[in-house]
Amino acid sequence: MTYRVKTGVIGAAILPCVTGIKQSLEEVLYDVTQRALRDAGITIEDIDGIVVGGNDQYDGRAISIMAASGSVGGVDRDILSTPSSGEHAFVMGALRVASGHFRTQLIVAWSPTESSSISEVQRLAADPYYHRRLPLDEMGAHAMQANVLLAGEPGLMALARQVAAKNRANGAASYPEIAASGPGVARYPLEPEMAMAPITGAVALVLASEDFVTEHARPVAWISGMGWATEPSFLGDRDLATVPALEAACAQAYGEAGITDPLDAFDVAELADATPFQELLAYEGLGLAPRADWAARVADGTFSPTGRLPVNLSGGAQSLNPVYCTGLIRIAEIALQVLGRAGRHQRADVRTGLAHAASGDAMQYNTVVVLRRGEQGAMS
Amino acid sequence: MSRVSAPRVGIIGIGQSPFVSRRDDASYPDLVREAVTLALHDAKLEMDGIEAVVYSLSPDAMVGIGNAERLGIDAVGARNKRFLRINTGGATGISSVAAAYYHIAAGACDVVLTAGADKVGECGDSQTVLNKIWDPTYERQLPLGTITMLAMSGIRYAHKYGMTQEDMARVVVKNRWHASKNPNAHLRRETTVEEVMGSRMISWPIKLFDCCPQSSGGGAMVLASERYIKERNLDAVWITGVGHCSETYYLGDRMGTGFTADHADAYALRNAFNRSYAMAGITDPATQIDVAEIYAPFSNTEFHSIEAAGLAPLGGSPAMLKEGQFHIGGRVPVNPSGGTLCTNAIAVTAMVRVAEVALQVWGRAGGHQVAGAKRGVASGNGGDHQFFGTMVVES
Repeated sequence: MTYRVKTGVIGAAILPCVTGIKQSLEEVLYDVTQRALRDAGITIEDIDGIVVGGNDQYDGRAISIMAASGSVGGVDRDILSTPSSGEHAFVMGALRVASGHFRTQLIVAWSPTESSSISEVQRLAADPYYHRRLPLDEMGAHAMQANVLLAGEPGLMALARQVAAKNRANGAASYPEIAASGPGVARYPLEPEMAMAPITGAVALVLASEDFVTEHARPVAWISGMGWATEPSFLGDRDLATVPALEAACAQAYGEAGITDPLDAFDVAELADATPFQELLAYEGLGLAPRADWAARVADGTFSPTGRLPVNLSGGAQSLNPVYCTGLIRIAEIALQVLGRAGRHQRADVRTGLAHAASGDAMQYNTVVVLRRGEQGAMS
Repeated sequence: MSRVSAPRVGIIGIGQSPFVSRRDDASYPDLVREAVTLALHDAKLEMDGIEAVVYSLSPDAMVGIGNAERLGIDAVGARNKRFLRINTGGATGISSVAAAYYHIAAGACDVVLTAGADKVGECGDSQTVLNKIWDPTYERQLPLGTITMLAMSGIRYAHKYGMTQEDMARVVVKNRWHASKNPNAHLRRETTVEEVMGSRMISWPIKLFDCCPQSSGGGAMVLASERYIKERNLDAVWITGVGHCSETYYLGDRMGTGFTADHADAYALRNAFNRSYAMAGITDPATQIDVAEIYAPFSNTEFHSIEAAGLAPLGGSPAMLKEGQFHIGGRVPVNPSGGTLCTNAIAVTAMVRVAEVALQVWGRAGGHQVAGAKRGVASGNGGDHQFFGTMVVES
């Protein structure tokens, strides 16, 4: 399948941690929007349409797009929201530009921490008849996934510790001004250092069509492949040690981008790592390392900052965990890497990057995006 | 907003529940599946034929489940497929059809399902839920709900244009008469101006009969690319116009001496219609539109919506309605299904508007068919009269 209009990212801004800053939600959203527009070198007048990702339960509001619309420039514009996940806002915005009906899209997602208990908020997502009585929040589901993996892979806990340590070290170098939020509430068998406490964060990206990019002579990270897929509704219907939805999303994205040898196709990758076990599963689901090779790849530093494919140079969610927007942040980090504007953790001469976002219980929703500088892709 | 000539996107399947007050026999995902099964049957497709799903669900609190779309994944057969959810409040249904449209228009997919359901009458108190749409600091303390919000619009409209409560009652009488012909409508009993006027006052000037019901039921539609439709020689109708536009969040910005938009009118809805019309090449909707399904949950809001659609001049619709111009058999029938006033399962209400227009231009609307309808327009409103989606559908 070929997209009708070639689409790319021309700007991004990440507020990975706004805790302690005395701003209202609307001020945070205005701030991140303006930063993304400045990064893209355009103004709100150039924006044709907007897609936001917000979660009613985290926000303590019904229809959370309502409060967002003014501060992100939604008044008089065509604005949609994808409450299923922040990364779905990116997918929707990319499809809108690729359809030829819009030249630009602004994508915004946010994740506050003002609810009295994010865990209790997440428990409301359990079905009311069968699972609501269980202490089943997202970290609980992530922990069950870790348990299933540990049962089948002896020695995996040591690998998971190394992956978590790698990402935290990356985070300390990438965002040193932001003190680590500290361990979250881990669920057995996850250790406290494998589950960072939630923080408030926001992220925005600007998408544009090829004619807009040409007209405005903007640097661009082209979307050369994009896939998204979901696991079924109930945890009990899944084998949590496997990631079929990630494999489906990966097949879509790699097929469009023409990726056949993923480990050598990318200069940098940002992968879902709500727990280090998820990053390991992503290695396999994305064709970067089958589980039989996990130990060898971790040991030889393949995914370290100086390795063959640096993974989560930003520090990932193991360093900064604004829960609802960690997925869209993965895509924004890769866009900034490809644009050469990633800051302290910029890798030299990044031409192609891989972003993987996961949301929900134990990687329920999976989104895979391949971004490429200066080359043709499926969206051409 | 159309900037390129794109291959068309067609509608090939429609499913609607018969909407009622309660569905004790069906869980929330059961209702979604009910509509999906009907739509797939209508499209003569199996689940495997669907490439992507757009899930239509407005506030989670209405079904009492956070991110309730996750519980609907199996109901829509989305396992390992492309799946995302849209929420623009009451406009969600038409926004979801638009989102499905963009999947196909972008070239990402050939066949996309959009589906959802709601159990508004079973949620406890929808107005308590809907009060939570307002800012917790500034406006939530007021006794605001969607009824009081649009009662204020009605008062302003009456002040500007002289609308009477009898004018409002005539909208109810028309839509109930239309609904009596539609087996899927919720409130199907015909009524009279006297009965509407005698019904209990809810929020002046809106009385009980001026209000939509709280409905339970599901809706689903299957969209496909022009190539897919033509290769298989399928029967289809075509989406030729798509447009959204938004207003301010704070109601206070639409009132007082310094308002940015007049709460009597629906300027952002008019902009949304104009975007759809521009894409569809419609320059004079009053003569070029055969049928309209317009989101109007309270009788008074049908007037400013008809005017925003360009089917009547500002303030002119009450007199035209009194003349019968918007009845089935009139100049431009509005809400021949009975509309939102007779059926409101919020998550899919605006999708049903598109579906009903599609059935009309298809010639498949049954007892409420508008004779000779070839081109129709649909709309959806969401938030605090804030998000507006519109769509033109042609045979």
